[in-house]
Amino acid sequence: MVNLTIDGKQVTVSKTATIYEAAKEAGVDIPVLCYAKKLLPFGACRVCLVEVEQMKGRLIPACTTPATEGMVVTTNSDEIAKVRKTVMEFLLVNHVLDCPVCDKGGECDLQDLTYDFEVNSNRFEGVKFDLPTDEVNPLIERNMNRCVLCGRCVRVCDEIVAYGSYSFINRGFETKIATAFDRGLSCEFCGQCLSMCPVGALLPRPFKFKARPWQLKEVDSVCGYCGNGCTVTLGCKDNQVQTIRFNDKIGVNDGNLCVRGRFGYSYVNRDDRLTTPLVRKDGQLVEASWDEALDAVSSALKDGKAGILSGARLTNEELFLLKNVAKTASASLDHSGGECYKGVTEGLQETLGLASSTGTFPQVEDADVILSIRSDFYETHPVFGMVVNQAVKRNGAKFLVLSDKTGKFNKLPDAQTLLTKPGLEVNVLNAICAALLESGQAKTDGVSGVDEFKSALADYAPAKVSAQTGVPVEAITAAAEQLAGAKKGAILLAYGLPYTAQSKELAIAAANLAILSGLAAQDEAGLYICGEKANSQGAIDLGILPGDGLGAQEQLAAAAKGDLDLLYVIGEDPMTSYPDGAKVEAAINGAKMVVVQDLFLTPTAEQADVVLPAASFAEKDGTFTNAERRIQRVRPGITSPGEAKSDFEIFTSLLGRLGAQVSYTGPQAVFAALAAENGEYAGIDFDAIGPQGVVWGGDKLAPKQQVLVSVSGLQPVEARFQLVTGSALYHSGTTSTRAKGPRAVIDEAYVELGREDAAELGVATDDQVTVKANGNTVKLKAKVDNRLPKGVVFVPNHFAGTGLNKIYQGAASVAVEVTKG
Amino acid sequence: MNDYPQILFKNRVVGETAFIDRFRANGGYQGLEKGLREMTPQEITATVKASGLRGRGGAGFPTGVKWSFFPADQPVEKFLVINGDEMEPGTYKDRQLLLADPHQLIEGVILSAFALQVSHAYIFIRYAYEECSRNLEQAIAEAKEAGYLGRDILGTGWDLEIHLHRSAGRYILGEETAQLNGIEGVRPNPRSKPPFPAAKGLWGKPTNVNNIETIACIPHIITGGPGWFINLGITQGGVGTKLFGLSGHLNRTECFELPVGIPLREVVETFGGGVRNGKGFKACLPGGASTPFLTAQHLDTPMDFEPLEQLDSRFGTAGVTVFDETTCMVGATLNLIRFFARESCGWCTPCRDGLSFVQWILEEIEAGRGNRDQIAMLKDQKKNITGRSFCALAEGAMGPLDGLLRHFEQELEDHVKLGRCPFGD
Ligand SMILES: Cc1cc2nc3c(=O)[nH]c(=O)nc-3n(C[C@H](O)[C@H](O)[C@H](O)COP(=O)(O)O)c2cc1C
Ligand code: SF4
Ligand code: SF4
Ligand code: SF4
Ligand code: SF4
Ligand code: FES
Repeated sequence: MVNLTIDGKQVTVSKTATIYEAAKEAGVDIPVLCYAKKLLPFGACRVCLVEVEQMKGRLIPACTTPATEGMVVTTNSDEIAKVRKTVMEFLLVNHVLDCPVCDKGGECDLQDLTYDFEVNSNRFEGVKFDLPTDEVNPLIERNMNRCVLCGRCVRVCDEIVAYGSYSFINRGFETKIATAFDRGLSCEFCGQCLSMCPVGALLPRPFKFKARPWQLKEVDSVCGYCGNGCTVTLGCKDNQVQTIRFNDKIGVNDGNLCVRGRFGYSYVNRDDRLTTPLVRKDGQLVEASWDEALDAVSSALKDGKAGILSGARLTNEELFLLKNVAKTASASLDHSGGECYKGVTEGLQETLGLASSTGTFPQVEDADVILSIRSDFYETHPVFGMVVNQAVKRNGAKFLVLSDKTGKFNKLPDAQTLLTKPGLEVNVLNAICAALLESGQAKTDGVSGVDEFKSALADYAPAKVSAQTGVPVEAITAAAEQLAGAKKGAILLAYGLPYTAQSKELAIAAANLAILSGLAAQDEAGLYICGEKANSQGAIDLGILPGDGLGAQEQLAAAAKGDLDLLYVIGEDPMTSYPDGAKVEAAINGAKMVVVQDLFLTPTAEQADVVLPAASFAEKDGTFTNAERRIQRVRPGITSPGEAKSDFEIFTSLLGRLGAQVSYTGPQAVFAALAAENGEYAGIDFDAIGPQGVVWGGDKLAPKQQVLVSVSGLQPVEARFQLVTGSALYHSGTTSTRAKGPRAVIDEAYVELGREDAAELGVATDDQVTVKANGNTVKLKAKVDNRLPKGVVFVPNHFAGTGLNKIYQGAASVAVEVTKG
Repeated sequence: MNDYPQILFKNRVVGETAFIDRFRANGGYQGLEKGLREMTPQEITATVKASGLRGRGGAGFPTGVKWSFFPADQPVEKFLVINGDEMEPGTYKDRQLLLADPHQLIEGVILSAFALQVSHAYIFIRYAYEECSRNLEQAIAEAKEAGYLGRDILGTGWDLEIHLHRSAGRYILGEETAQLNGIEGVRPNPRSKPPFPAAKGLWGKPTNVNNIETIACIPHIITGGPGWFINLGITQGGVGTKLFGLSGHLNRTECFELPVGIPLREVVETFGGGVRNGKGFKACLPGGASTPFLTAQHLDTPMDFEPLEQLDSRFGTAGVTVFDETTCMVGATLNLIRFFARESCGWCTPCRDGLSFVQWILEEIEAGRGNRDQIAMLKDQKKNITGRSFCALAEGAMGPLDGLLRHFEQELEDHVKLGRCPFGD
């Protein structure tokens, strides 16, 4: 700690604090422009200059200069005021000052500082820039005439996003920010840069000229897409979500979002939202009253054998009510296609006695060793991925990626990639465990099952696994050594609907490794199990799992056989997203009645007998639990269109119709009820869930047990081509394919293949390619890049109508034929 | 003509380069033998400190003191960088040195690297100095062959690799932290200090940056000893010799090795052969484009750090550019400011926007469109920019403006009054 005096006030601050941070602590405001809390010190704009008694003769930048013992700082004097004013005058010399037509008007740092320093007229005059606006992409407009060269966009894109779109180019007065070869922006469109821009140089195009900032109603909620659980502040007007506002004050994401969170909101405003219940009459779905529709659903629930398939984007409260519906109607219940979630949950229970991540996201920022399983991890959980970026880039964490393809993560400095043949992650994890045990680095205190485990690993000696998977032996032993040496290590595993195969085995293998490397028992970080959907963890916590009833796949099988009277699908589109589309189709045809509750008339809803119009996340009140067990508040910014109702209301009505005695006044009351039933949530008060949410079980969840369980990997698929599926960065589930933002980047499914294969097939990007397996074919456009090893092709699982699930039936990888045309 | 001791230019024959045979025949690599065989790294640093050698790159920081801040004894990766960017107008001495005698630098680098206990040294040379780079390549190869470089040098168990870094080079790349970025391959903005390079430099590791001429002095200090080196200077406190690069309106614009402390008049008249075409001396930049002008009344000043600082100017790199009596000092200053404004890296506001504004005002005045307010504005700008910028480039850019305002304000007034340049051609 150091003591210093700022404007006569004594402050004591940490040794790493800058003068600016120290002043902030002392309650003294120093104006800044290029400074941003989450970025490294920069010191370029010179707005924050102050006087330091010990450094007389020059003015000192507060934002970069460390506070030192005994410093005496003056933050305001005539000289300082003049300097700041001069800086503003300099900046305004060439600034276009088109505030009346600039969307930033009203929240622009340049406007505010100009006003604060009373820069009424400019003594300087010079040329105004007249650079063309970069509008080559549909999401971010770049008007470099308004740029003040604070470098925040350059820095955030490099330091946090690790994409590196921008650079300063040219010198002197001609200096500007440019993209590669000045060709215009083409990137992952996370929008971090525009959230950092203090002026109107970077603006969200979908929001252009929609509203002035002060006209927006701001509502803090949680992103409805993935398990990252980022805070999104909805900017609402005219009962529409107009934009997502920057907010780094609350939540766990530090104001960072991915393309889905930042630009993927617009589906809630779509004209084709379902607005009334529909009931099939004479083969046609026709509008019906809620009473008619709900009566039909409740009598089917009451009278017959029912199966319920839920999505994981419902709130905890809704899931709790749904569970009660299932219980009251003695219906089977499962979520998100079943297998993967069930598998992961069981696998973790058997090994660690828990079913969640052990640490929080921020703990990974200063982790020293990180292993990510599947490069898709960045694609499924981009903002957690940005935490990893910082751990690696800023704090020098050792980074290991175990994956069947390369991706963004592999490009991080010194990332070590364990590139395996598809589907063999378990084999490699087993081999790392074997290496740990063999070299005596394994931590086995308090661990049970060691001997059996050891003997079961006989087949997974590094050399053997290396031959099988293509991962070099040295990479396996080096990974073992690094993980064993970790003081604060993290193993990250993403899971979800498109990753059905070996989910239990993978969870166990990851847990085994976490145990043997000592990570599971560390005080912080450990194992991160990150679900695909916004409330995947909530669904597991609340037990939206088959239990004694039928799991998702069993429900489908039963329905296909005509053994199910009702198949009730909530917030999911199995026709598109479940593996084995034929099985889904048979189930839908075989079930006596199909009910779909959704926002849109999805391919599954089109086949339904009753369709119930539901509310989006932006219309809901309640809680989500993210992949680090953080329970956060979801709040409504707008009301649902037409007669659409929240799942909450629908389930309450159903419960009433089923004769259950419930009268919940709102999510609060339901939360109290669920907390009473669920040990992990016990004692948490809905109203006390603050801006940072509540992490159930505390920041570090100690494993209840450490049991090694042996699991078998797979044999490699031997075929010229094999297909893997999964998430693409720009999309999440099927919902985002209805949002303009993500669609603006990726509009349709594609077959991704490596350059070598493409050359051999004579295929270029956008050429049509046929993928054939199991007697079915899929025709898609090619996307050629260098992510995939030879012989592996990838098709994202988000898009309806591709027919991907005619080929993909849940296996880790599918032998396919690939031809041009 | 030049009877002063020739140390750095000992082997210089204009138009020729001394390679290893001639270099060794004239006593080359003896300092290295002595330093590595007879001295510890600490002793070398102490000797350099005792010699009072000050950096020849422009800032004049005492070299031994800088080395003593370096964590030489820490067993971490660390680097030595030799700054050969040399793009300040009027400065060309490092080039002469490398054209004449590249081994001298190599010997200095090896000794310095040993003192600092680094195993990798980078010599940064800009593209325009390709001939120097080739000389260095040959010298490095020869030194390696002779066992002065590589593994286990002279049986000390210490290894050194010298990397020649050819750069596109630009004025800002001479600034040491920008140079580190340049070597790393990223945009050469200066870096924020602290952390200083000695703590976190190249690739985040402790790094020491020195000028070519500075390092070339090291072997001589080791062979001759600090007392001998100090005595080379002819002023109280002036140590060593210095390469003076003469340019401008002189009869002889060449590079000379002269003792530190030599009077400016002697430099101009004896070595520069006096102002050309029989004209009178009006002003000079004493140490490169970033040092405030001196005038005829300063001709008896000893060319050394302290005496020039007392005149609010600087010794800089000892690149002496002379202006004759027919020179328009507004035009001369404008020319220099144009250079600085163009070379500004564009990082910080006062330099990026301020310099081009100063340039604009000077253009207005020089073109006869100026007014009194603009003269006042120039004075204000000098204050707004000096001490406010991120690195020393902008501060240096204010050097000539400062000289103009202090010594030639009347010329500004005349431009305004006449509505044209009084020296107009
Ligand atoms: C704009 C600018 C340009 C510079 N150019 C050079 C240069 O070309 N060569 C050089 O040795 N030092 C140059 N310097 C000084 C270096 O930053 C640094 O002080 C010097 O290399 C240290 O070496 P020395 O102590 O041996 O002089 C420059 C400084 C600034 C601010
Ligand atoms: S949108 Fe994201 S990736 Fe693209 S330039 Fe901005 S910060 Fe970088
Ligand atoms: S575009 Fe915005 S964030 Fe980027 S440098 Fe310019 S003003 Fe700063
Ligand atoms: S989709 Fe996930 S990572 Fe992206 S903003 Fe939403 S919660 Fe965050
Ligand atoms: S003073 Fe000039 S050269 Fe130095 S950082 Fe600022 S803009 Fe760049
Ligand atoms: S805020 Fe400190 S220099 Fe920009």
